[in-house]
Amino acid sequence: MRRVALAALCAASAAQAGVSVPPEARGNALFDQANAAYLSGETSRAVAGYEALLEEGLASPELETNLGAAYLRQGKRGLAALHLERALFLDPSDDDARADLLEVRRGNVDKLEGESEDGGAEALARALAPLPGPAAAVALVALWSLGWGLLGANVLRPRAALGTSAIACFLLAGAAALVTVGSTAAHRLTLRRAVVVAQAAPAREGPSDRAASHFEVHEGTALRIEDEDQGFRRVKLANGLTGWVPATAVEPVVPPGWSNQRRL
Amino acid sequence: MSRRTGSALFALLVAFAAAAAEDVQVSARTDADEVALDGTLNLTITATVSSKGDQAELSLPDLKDFDVVSRSQSEQVAFTFVNGAPTFRRTTVTTVKLAPRREGQLAIEAARVTYKGRAYTTQRLSIRALPPGQSPTPKARAQAPPPDRFAEDAITDPFQDVHPQSRDLVLRASIDRERPFVGQQISYSLYLLARVNVSGIDKLQLPRLDGFWSEEIEAPQQLVGEARIIDGVPYRAFLLRKRALFPLRAGKVQIDPAEVEVMTGFGMLFSRSSTRRSSQPLTLEVQPLPETHKPDGFDAGNVGSWTLTASVDPVAVAVGQPVTFKLVAQGRGNVRNLALPKLGQIPGLRSYDATSNDKEAIEQGQVTGMRTVEQLLVPERTGAIEIPSLSMDLFDPAQKAYRTVRTGPIRLEVHAAPASAAIGSQAQAQNLLAAGGLRPIRLRMTRASVAPPPWTRGWFWPLLATGPLAVALVAGTGRLRRLLARDPAEERVKKARSAARARLRGAETLLDEQRRGNASASDFHAEVARALTGYLTDKQGIAAAGMTREELGRALLDRGHPPGTVRAVLAVLDECDRARFAPGGADLTSQEARLERAGRLLGELDKVRRGA
Repeated sequence: MRRVALAALCAASAAQAGVSVPPEARGNALFDQANAAYLSGETSRAVAGYEALLEEGLASPELETNLGAAYLRQGKRGLAALHLERALFLDPSDDDARADLLEVRRGNVDKLEGESEDGGAEALARALAPLPGPAAAVALVALWSLGWGLLGANVLRPRAALGTSAIACFLLAGAAALVTVGSTAAHRLTLRRAVVVAQAAPAREGPSDRAASHFEVHEGTALRIEDEDQGFRRVKLANGLTGWVPATAVEPVVPPGWSNQRRL
Repeated sequence: MSRRTGSALFALLVAFAAAAAEDVQVSARTDADEVALDGTLNLTITATVSSKGDQAELSLPDLKDFDVVSRSQSEQVAFTFVNGAPTFRRTTVTTVKLAPRREGQLAIEAARVTYKGRAYTTQRLSIRALPPGQSPTPKARAQAPPPDRFAEDAITDPFQDVHPQSRDLVLRASIDRERPFVGQQISYSLYLLARVNVSGIDKLQLPRLDGFWSEEIEAPQQLVGEARIIDGVPYRAFLLRKRALFPLRAGKVQIDPAEVEVMTGFGMLFSRSSTRRSSQPLTLEVQPLPETHKPDGFDAGNVGSWTLTASVDPVAVAVGQPVTFKLVAQGRGNVRNLALPKLGQIPGLRSYDATSNDKEAIEQGQVTGMRTVEQLLVPERTGAIEIPSLSMDLFDPAQKAYRTVRTGPIRLEVHAAPASAAIGSQAQAQNLLAAGGLRPIRLRMTRASVAPPPWTRGWFWPLLATGPLAVALVAGTGRLRRLLARDPAEERVKKARSAARARLRGAETLLDEQRRGNASASDFHAEVARALTGYLTDKQGIAAAGMTREELGRALLDRGHPPGTVRAVLAVLDECDRARFAPGGADLTSQEARLERAGRLLGELDKVRRGA
């Protein structure tokens, strides 16, 4: 349906212009159309437009933020929270996505009681997420290699300047390594992060519909995926509450196409 | 005279005060205004006094127009604390069943109640007696006005069809209306009828009220009984619970029985027992809202008796200054379901999101409510701006009709802001901007990279390892090279013996050549001498070529060589020198012997290491 809408839009735009439309311009045109639909109150059409762009493989924090806002307007808190989390994954410094996510969470059905069991790992991950991990990793490799190069030169032709430069490179590489480690930790936690998208899902003791259920999670609640089996996912809430929920009831924040890392 | 008058007035006041303090109340009523000549009616006379022991004495009025069929009397004593002091109230209810003697307008004269020597009288009652067989019009009870005077299905007495027969305890559920409209309030009451002493109730279980929105009206914390005569038997009726119900959908609805556990007996010790009782189920027929005259777009939640008012504060304001528009709906019904009209866009006014506040209350058993909607409006131009009339359609179940309530139009006078105020009077700022709410969407889209981070790539860790490995390789190579590099002096030491042997083999070859006549004896001896001196130079570090024989001998002795060996070495060197510089004196045999001795001497010299 969305592909048909996208194709129709592209064909219409191309026919109107009489020229072939480059993919970027085509994406921007669809984004503008979806925004116009949102602003005129046609949230269903806006959602269809945004989703079509996502199906094209586009990754954009603004797209995810707008889609989250549109889902929230439709009352779909789970999907709204999911896409706002994705916006923050793509751009951890996105204030709008963070504010909208707080707005979504204010209306969540589930209120967690008890102390956080992850020892603040979630908060730490949030704090570390804005670190420029990839850039720090590249800098780490460059400074580390340069430091060793200077050290090697000093071994062959001992000079004071070479040794001092090598030490400076190693110090900078250490700083880059700290940033990289922090970013890696945040990245690893985010890969396991998920959001409940079903309105309600029973959390069971095992991966089976016949297993006993002691509690229920509701849309919009953030949790961590710990295991998968037989169409169920073992999830853990921030306060340690754990259960198996149907795999379709929760969606990982980082979709499979965005990372080649193993999640579990 | 005036003194006596004052005394009398004082006495009258004291007597009045005493009577008031006694708080005596007497009343009389009948259960019908009309009665057929072959029927009966009940006259009930109630006397309540504030006393524990003294009783009021009742004298029945002159009933010349009636025959007294039966007479019964019940008494109830209530004990309460008022301002910390115990207060007793004794209520005596006398019921007299009367049969009229003649047709026409009959009178029941005032009854007389005497208490502590004082007489109190009831009011006079008038009864109309009808011919035999004619049905009298039911008389409404004076003490309990009907909840809805227009309702045909209103049930005025919850006990009108109760026949307990011989049961001591009866749990009675009742509703005040059997055919309500959707959204119309009905009252569900649960009474316990008892003719034994009830000391308490426990485990009251109300039925599930599916299909209703319900609100608590009364939930007594203490049992307070009311005397009732049912089928001629005195009972005490205890109200256990009263709830307001608003049907949510049309159709036949059944309310399941309620259950309660009743503790009977006196106090904690005397014959206290527990009995479980269930009420009867109730069935009601909820009527849909009538389709005739139903306004277009009518909201089904707007049921009840409501008024709608609108106001703006202030009504005169400077441009840019906010005013508050307030819309209030007030009345009887379920305020939560109410859908109020919305203020549309008004040219010249910028409007903000409205806030809504609901309040509910119970008044005389009826759920009343008030919804207040407040909206901030900011005039954007000067002049008069009219806020239009708002209207709301509602269904009034009391009148069984739709009607429309309207607000009046409001005129807002907007004047230009004074220059000084426009420059900035922060103290008058009223536009409070609270944080929160959904943020506006983004209109520009940037593409983000979702490539896996560098540390997940295959090249990352090998590249990190390359630097240290390269430096280790460089350092290792240098060390290896140093290890592999050889000292020429040491090399010479190591190779001194083999070099000397090689020279001796050369000397042997020269000896063979000498036999064939191709070489001279001096060459042979020179080679032998070079073998020995070369060995001493390389191996022993003694530059024998530049030394006298004495110096050579001392040097060899200093290095620990045995004196015999030293003498032998010096002798061989002397013989070689002689043979080289004085030829003819050496035959081949002596040369062979010298060669052999030189070889043996090398072995002996080799036994003592250099520098030992």
